[in-house]
Amino acid sequence: MHSTDDEVPESLRDHMERLRELPEVREAWRHDLLAAVARPDPASGRIVRMMGRRWSMNVGTGIAAAFVCAALGGLATRLVQHRESPSLASSPVSALVPATQAAQSDHALLHLELVAPTATSVSIVGDFNQWNPTSLPMRRAADGRTWEIEVRLEPGRHTYGFVVDGQLRQDPRAARSAGDDFGIPNSVLMVQRPVGAT
Amino acid sequence: MTDAALVRSALAGDHAAFATLVDRHAPVCLRYAKRMLGNIHDAEEVTQDTLIRVHRTLARYDESMSFRTWAMSILVNRCRSALLYRHRRTARIILDEEAVGRASVRSSSTDVDLRDAIDRALAKLEPVQREAFLLKHVELLSYEEMATMTDTGISALKMRVQRACDRLQVLLEEDRYA
Repeated sequence: MHSTDDEVPESLRDHMERLRELPEVREAWRHDLLAAVARPDPASGRIVRMMGRRWSMNVGTGIAAAFVCAALGGLATRLVQHRESPSLASSPVSALVPATQAAQSDHALLHLELVAPTATSVSIVGDFNQWNPTSLPMRRAADGRTWEIEVRLEPGRHTYGFVVDGQLRQDPRAARSAGDDFGIPNSVLMVQRPVGAT
Repeated sequence: MTDAALVRSALAGDHAAFATLVDRHAPVCLRYAKRMLGNIHDAEEVTQDTLIRVHRTLARYDESMSFRTWAMSILVNRCRSALLYRHRRTARIILDEEAVGRASVRSSSTDVDLRDAIDRALAKLEPVQREAFLLKHVELLSYEEMATMTDTGISALKMRVQRACDRLQVLLEEDRYA
């Protein structure tokens, strides 16, 4: 099954090329990184991340901010406790996808991919962005074939589709909606509340 | 210019030298983090934290070790920390049952299926097995390098890699008939 310490078992070899593909280094990500290291090291403070950017603050400001955040957090907790949890239908068909919980709420951050090697532009549209074809453009992955995006969605049922070179398309790997709107085939996904979310 | 020379230049204040180090090593760091954490968003965050940490501790870099091994050892630890919080950060997508029954368009690409299958299998591995498998067979490191960066004995690492390979084969086989 596994002949030597350095050999990949034969049955796994077909997958190794895929696993060794290098992801795209986004220029914006590289720029943010180099900008962060070019700033002086805040020896007495910490780097915190807000909205994808790095911000630094000194200890005094940090302590003051902590008190303010604690007060606001307590208020927010009281408000959230009054919200009703959405009920989700169980289904025998399920798929785990890379997903992370948004920091500030019960929204889930979902990573979606579409394989469209010949497309020149792809965006995702759905009830979460009022079907606006320009608000959530997808980026081409390093393999040149796949388009990807991360979107934050509330737990519950969502309909969505992809706009490929100006044409609305159904997700080929998802299900079609039972209630297609205006004859346009939409895909459906159910987002479950992230484990541990309040 | 070697990595060690670039480190010396960066320590002397040459930002372009550090940018070159980033361009050389960021893709590999992102690949490892993406495979370890399962998505590019977390991978970018952890890799950025790692490279900032690398920059701040450049003066501690020991040239007897490869720069890649040193940077990856920081990345491995950052990924371990990120996984500790994974139970709070995992969400699930469930396709609508009724809609699935009506779906007329299904994936017909075996290539897509193959790509997804290995991702699903990797995600089901124990993190220590996934870590050892990726370092050995994706990053192609020696067991000596892996031992240095993971602070784990070579025999334990070999066992983890073997178990990871065996488990992946079982998971992929199960996936074929799922």
